Amino acid sequence: MVKFVKVLPIAAKIGTVTIRYPYAKPIVTDSFRGAIEVDPSKCTGCGACTRICPPKALSLNIEGGTAILRYFVGRCIFCGMCADICPEKAIKITKEFELASEQVSDLYIDVEHEVVTCRKCGSKFVTSKLLNKVEQKLSEFSKELLSLCPRCRRVEMLSKQVYLR
Amino acid sequence: MEIQRQVPVEIFSRKDLEKALQRIKKSIWVFHLNTGSCNGCDIEIIDVLTPWFDVERFGIKLVASPRHADVVLLTGPITIKTFPRLVKALRAVPRPRLVLAIGSCAVGGNIWFNSYATLGGFPNVIDKLNELGIVIDKIVYVPGCPARPEAIIYGVAVMLGLVEQKTRYKKVKA
Repeated sequence: MVKFVKVLPIAAKIGTVTIRYPYAKPIVTDSFRGAIEVDPSKCTGCGACTRICPPKALSLNIEGGTAILRYFVGRCIFCGMCADICPEKAIKITKEFELASEQVSDLYIDVEHEVVTCRKCGSKFVTSKLLNKVEQKLSEFSKELLSLCPRCRRVEMLSKQVYLR
Repeated sequence: MEIQRQVPVEIFSRKDLEKALQRIKKSIWVFHLNTGSCNGCDIEIIDVLTPWFDVERFGIKLVASPRHADVVLLTGPITIKTFPRLVKALRAVPRPRLVLAIGSCAVGGNIWFNSYATLGGFPNVIDKLNELGIVIDKIVYVPGCPARPEAIIYGVAVMLGLVEQKTRYKKVKA
């Protein structure tokens, strides 16, 4: 009882500490990391972010005629490694944290990419944006080989070697 | 621990439950349930209850028994060992049964989403709970690792229908 009385002058000195959250803005520092935002105009669909993501919140799947870069906020741990690794600097870390939702499906964000089909076997293997970028970088490389999927390219290269001998 | 199978007794009609849901606009009592969480989210829940955030100004109160609770604050990816206890605790919660899944573990399983020891978050468990006769009337998912105290308060507000949820499914073309 006596110990409790000691608290009273301290409480009177400090006053109210409660923050008025819904009415006042929450304290968000510069280093705070919230949900990420993928810039669709910059993203090439290379999949570097999907490999670095520890909980695999980002995934790149080729379904049908499109490649979908899917971001699931519900599994994100807000580490920001995807923003560091992105070669195009397409991923931006926002300060958004009020992400509560009633449906899990509302927590997904999809970025759709066009896909290139292999000239020989017809399988879809890479996004057209990434292929264009590689084409610009490797100007000496033969254009014919670029439109082949990795497996067909290997076969093509080998067969060329065989015919040369 | 064995899971008891019970056939649900439908004593409440849909109308009754909707009426009850409307009534709990304020003064909700919460029960904290840890299903194998790392304690990060649990500490944030304690933060919410301290004088700094002081949720008792909204009437939110922590109770010790699930039988007194309106809302279950669920944290953790639901490990296989905790699943029977989760069933037992959720069965004790009276209807309307509300669940607030807090943290990325409870929402999507976090880094344990495909582990052999966990069930990978609350969405994967709902079907199993329905099989066992446990109906959950409303679920709100609060992502965050750990979820900020403000995010938890916001989640409760979404659950009670005081604010519109901000996040929506988006599909953009690159």
